[in-house]
Amino acid sequence: MSTKHSLAAEKFIQDSNRVTRHDQTFWSVRAKRDAQAHDLSEWEDLREAASQIKKHTVTHLADYLQKFEENATRNGVHVHWAKDAAEYNDIVMQILTEHQVHKVVKSKSMLTEECHLNEHLEKHGIEVVETDLGERILQMMKLAPSHIVMPAIHITREQVGHCFEEQIQSEKGNYDPTYLTRCARYHLRDNFMTAECGMTGANFGIAETGDVVVCTNEGNADMSTSVPKLHIVSMGLEKLIPNYEAMGVFHRLLARCGTGQATTVYTSHFRKPRPGGEMHIILVDNGRSSILGDEEHWQTLKCMRCGACMNTCPVYRRSGGYSYTYFIPGPIGINLGMLKDRNANYHNVSACTLCCSCDNVCPVKVDLSTQIYRWRQRLDSWGKANSMKKAMSKGMKLMFEHPALYGTALKMAPMANILPRWMTNVRMNAWAKGHEMPEFAKKSFHAQWKDLKKGGQK
Amino acid sequence: MSTKEEILNRLRANVRETYDMPDLGFAKTTHDDPVAKFIETATTTAGARLIEVKPEDDLNELIRQAYPEAKVVSSNVPGIRADRNPDEVACAQDLDGTDVGVIKGEVACAENACVWIPQTMKEKAICFIAEYLVLIVSKKNIVSNMHEAYERIQFNDYGFGTFISGPSKTADIEQSLVYGAQAARGMTILLTE
Repeated sequence: MSTKHSLAAEKFIQDSNRVTRHDQTFWSVRAKRDAQAHDLSEWEDLREAASQIKKHTVTHLADYLQKFEENATRNGVHVHWAKDAAEYNDIVMQILTEHQVHKVVKSKSMLTEECHLNEHLEKHGIEVVETDLGERILQMMKLAPSHIVMPAIHITREQVGHCFEEQIQSEKGNYDPTYLTRCARYHLRDNFMTAECGMTGANFGIAETGDVVVCTNEGNADMSTSVPKLHIVSMGLEKLIPNYEAMGVFHRLLARCGTGQATTVYTSHFRKPRPGGEMHIILVDNGRSSILGDEEHWQTLKCMRCGACMNTCPVYRRSGGYSYTYFIPGPIGINLGMLKDRNANYHNVSACTLCCSCDNVCPVKVDLSTQIYRWRQRLDSWGKANSMKKAMSKGMKLMFEHPALYGTALKMAPMANILPRWMTNVRMNAWAKGHEMPEFAKKSFHAQWKDLKKGGQK
Repeated sequence: MSTKEEILNRLRANVRETYDMPDLGFAKTTHDDPVAKFIETATTTAGARLIEVKPEDDLNELIRQAYPEAKVVSSNVPGIRADRNPDEVACAQDLDGTDVGVIKGEVACAENACVWIPQTMKEKAICFIAEYLVLIVSKKNIVSNMHEAYERIQFNDYGFGTFISGPSKTADIEQSLVYGAQAARGMTILLTE
């Protein structure tokens, strides 16, 4: 009974060069994050503060949201509320229709992925152009992001080159990243000039002022909102923080954790619509208010989507983003996927070695691995436990509860050494996948210890 | 019941325990010489060029020397010679084709080379659309870290402000760092007294 994750991962690892590249790429980001963290003596104070600010905000979220709406409205911004993806998509479509929009330029937003906004808009005849380079490459290739911050890092320069040759007439055979980035720049520039609407996500909302803060390295969110007159912000409820004092804490953590930079190039603060323009903020629930009621998992609402937990995860690094059944991979994605739909996403909970590395890098201290452990404990009650593992657990329980049986098994274990390979390296034995079985010691540790003790007494 | 009420009610009903806002008074890294630290971060990790302006220097001449081939300069900064003015163009699109945009920063942060640029022009596109950006910042306005920066920043009636740290960049293709993704390809900071 293999999980969908393990089956997909099996395909991913067939190309060992790809696995090595993927693993090393994300490990280098983790190393850069470490260098940034070690550079600040207050690093742990920042993490603790960020965790507490988020705990405070999400447990006072209704009040803060009202305050945010009040302030944004006073600033001349239109605020909308959407309880789910369908309502959200309808609100966006309604705004676009009112403004007779044909083309939207969009900066990266995981929320729009969550709600399948692009498909919805395209179905209604709207042209949607992603403007983050990685997202644009994926959009052209008709692929989903495989990471929430570096969405197309698994694609090679040759693949990007082929795609650009076909779609934006780049030079044949030129796979130089600088050249390809330049081609995308000109292609996107044309789109910025002609789109009637710019859409962004929100990294943070500031309750005290009604501001929205958006961080990018490329400046694509700014191009999207400086040229078209209409700006629509899509914001998950949990993105709110109380004030700019808190913003200082999160600003110092976000890029350091996400990409190992001291800051993103652009941190833009939107308070009012542009002169002659219009600004809308759509506050999206889509399950978030229910997560708050989940005693064991409500702290996932602290997440600010930096991606640090993916970069450090040994399973993510070696199995890739597409091996997970939920659109957000890695430790946070495993948890969010279970909260969204456990029947569709229980496959991912075994994609974790419980090494707890994610807990140690998370800037807001979400207890990611503990949460994954909790899901695993409940699998059996939903009839989703792996029957092989279950049988083994029962066997082990029996053995460990009966010392005589345990002693006998221990004495007999070295017999496995002389069994022919075909008997031990069987499909049923997951440990034998990819490596040989270890050799059992002729004498158990227990027996050796006893002998040593006897020797010492002599 | 409206969607808003439904969401707010559910949020209120689902809170079991509330937590207080923490005290953020912990010690934060400061720099003995924030100006030197700013120059270092701006010219290394942020990828900008930086010129320390002497009192006798002519800013227009420095800009011309920094970008001798520039044909179109856009700015509304008093005293800067410009071909286009972001206050006077009919629409943001008219600023496309700007070789050099010249803007002023109000607060600069030593730890990460972020410079606070409040919108002081009708079309803020000038800050992003120019091929190269010239940022005028005073040494007096450099602070150590982002906590201090957020204490200092001011919004005006335009209701927009951005921190910019160096030129636009991307590493989306195989992690190769490329300057000039969608906004400025390069940046020169003119650091005044």
